[in-house]
Amino acid sequence: MTVIHRRRLARLVATAFVLVFAAAFAYPALLTLITSLKSENAVIDTPLALPTHVTLTAYATTWRVLNFGNLLENSLFYATAGAAIGFVIAVYPAYAFSRFRFVGARAIFILLLTTLMLPQQTALIPLYHALTWLGLLNTRLGLVIIHGAWGMPLQLLVLTGFLTNQPREVEEAARVDGATDLQVLRHIVLPLAAPAMVVGFLLNFIGIWKEFIFAVTFLNSDSLYPLTIGILKFTANQYFASFTLPAAAVVISQLPLIALFLLASRWLVSGIYTGAFK
Amino acid sequence: MQVGLSREPVLHAAEEGDRRRPLWKQLEEIRRHRLVFGFGIVLPLAVYLVFVGYPISYTFYLSFQQWNGFSNVVKFVGLANYRHLINDSNFWLSFSNTVKWIIGTLFFTDVLAFILAVVLRSKSIYFGAVLRAFFFLPVTMSLIAIGLMFSFILTPAFGGVGLIAQALGFPRGPDLLGQPATALYTLIGVFGWSYLGIPLVLFDAGLTQIPEELNEAARLEGATPLQQLRFVTLPMLRPTFVVVTVLAVLEAIRTFDLVYAMTGGGPGHSSDTLGYYMWIQSFDERHFGYGAAISTVMLLLSSLFAMVYVRRAGRAALEGGG
Repeated sequence: MTVIHRRRLARLVATAFVLVFAAAFAYPALLTLITSLKSENAVIDTPLALPTHVTLTAYATTWRVLNFGNLLENSLFYATAGAAIGFVIAVYPAYAFSRFRFVGARAIFILLLTTLMLPQQTALIPLYHALTWLGLLNTRLGLVIIHGAWGMPLQLLVLTGFLTNQPREVEEAARVDGATDLQVLRHIVLPLAAPAMVVGFLLNFIGIWKEFIFAVTFLNSDSLYPLTIGILKFTANQYFASFTLPAAAVVISQLPLIALFLLASRWLVSGIYTGAFK
Repeated sequence: MQVGLSREPVLHAAEEGDRRRPLWKQLEEIRRHRLVFGFGIVLPLAVYLVFVGYPISYTFYLSFQQWNGFSNVVKFVGLANYRHLINDSNFWLSFSNTVKWIIGTLFFTDVLAFILAVVLRSKSIYFGAVLRAFFFLPVTMSLIAIGLMFSFILTPAFGGVGLIAQALGFPRGPDLLGQPATALYTLIGVFGWSYLGIPLVLFDAGLTQIPEELNEAARLEGATPLQQLRFVTLPMLRPTFVVVTVLAVLEAIRTFDLVYAMTGGGPGHSSDTLGYYMWIQSFDERHFGYGAAISTVMLLLSSLFAMVYVRRAGRAALEGGG
C-alpha cells in the first residue's frame, strides 16, 4: 500500500513540476491574449494581471489600421494557391517514385528533396532578378509560383512516403485488366491517398502562411502584403506606444493556424514526422 | 539521367521485375508510360532546375561579380567579394553569431526536447499528451508573430519583465533586446522556444517505437531508470537524434525572420546572422555580388548537414517502412 501511495505521490509531484514548466512555457502566448483584451491604460498599470474589463477595442483598431481583411485575403490566397500548385506538381512524381523503377530514381528524388534543406537565401537574388525580368516582381502570381515550386518537395515527400507503404494488389489487378497509368492513378491510387494528400497540402499551406523571406523580398506594396509583413507595422515607432495593438495583431493573425492545428493536430503531427523521417 | 543510354530498364511499372531490356524496348517503355515520364520525372526536374538549381548556381556565379542590381553592368571581380568577406568584421560577427545560434538551438532540441519527451512519455506523469500540446503551440505560429509578441513583451516600457525582475529582488528589469550583450542570446532563446515542439514530437514518436520488451529486460536485469535511459533509450533513439540535429542546424543557418522582426540585427550589428546579413547586403545595400558570396558560404554550411539528412530521407521514402 505505502509503495503505491508513494508512487502516486511521486507521479503527482512530477506532473506538478512539468505543469509549472508548461505553464511558464505557454505564458508569453497567454500574456499576449490577455494584453489584447485590455485597455492601453490597464496594460500600463498592471501589465501582467488579468483584465478587469474585457474590451475588444484593440481588435477593432487593429483590423482598421492594418486593413486586416486585405492581409487575411492575401495570406489565404498565397497559401491556398501556392499549396495547390505544389500539389499539382507533386502528384505525378509521387506516383512515379512510388510505383515505377527507373535509372537514377533515387538520385532524382534526393535532388528534389534538397529544396527542403537549402536556405532560401541561396536562391533569393537570382529569383528576385528573374521575377523583375519577367515583370512578375511585386505581383501575386510571381510570389505564388515560387511558393508552389519550393513547396512541392514537401508534398512529394509526404505523398511518396505514404504511397510506398500502400499495398498494390488492386492496382496490379487493374493493370492486368488493361487500365492505363492515368486510370490507375485517378481511380485507385489517388482516392486511397486522400489522407496523405490532405496532410501534405495542409503542411504546405501552413508553411506558406508563416512564410516571410520570399514575401518581404518579392513584394513591395501594402495591397499585396500577407499577414506576416502586415502585422510588422506595429513594431514601427509610430505605433510602439501601444501594446494592445501588436498583441491583438498576433492573436488574430495566428488564430486560423491554431484552429487548424486543434482540428487536425494528429494528422499534421504525423505529417511532420513523415516529413522529417521518410 | 541517362535515358536510353543505360542498359538498365529506363522506366517500367515496378511489378514487372528488373530484367534488362534492349534499347528499343526501353524507349517503348517511355512511350507507353509517357504521362508518368513527362509529368512524373521531367516536369519536377524542370521545376527544380528553374526555381532551385539554376538560381543557386547563378548565386555562385554572382559571387564572383560586382553588381548593384539596377544597371546591366555586371563586372567580373574574381575573388574580390571573398577577399572582402575575409576582411569584413561584420561578416565574421554574423558567422560567429550563426554558430552560437546553432549551438544554442541544439541545446533546446537535443537536450531540453529530449528530456521533456522522455518525461512526458513516461508513466510517472499524468496528462502527458495534453502537456505536450502546450509545448507544441508555438510551432503553429509564424516566427514573425512570435517576434512581434516577444518584442513588445520584452520592451522595458511594457513593464512585465520589470515586475518579474522586482519580484526576484532586482531594482529593475533588463532591456534584453536593447543591449548588445544580450540581444543575440534573447533571440536564440525565443527561437528555441518557437522550435521546441518539432524535436519533441520527433523524439516522442521515436520513444513509442522502442519495443517495451527491451526496457522490460533491462528492468529484470536490475537496471535503474537512469541506466535504462543510458543503455536502452539513447542508443535506440540515435537515428532520431541525427534527424533532429540536422533539421535544427539547417533551420538555424537560414535564420532570418526573428532577427528581422525583433532587432534588425542590432543594437549595432550585435545580433546579425548570416541569413540576415546576406539579405541586408543584397536588398538594402544592393551589393548583390557580395550578398551572393555570403549566400555561397551559407550554401556550403547547409550542404554539409543536408547531405546526411537527405540521403536518409530519400532512402526511407522510396523503400517504405518506418
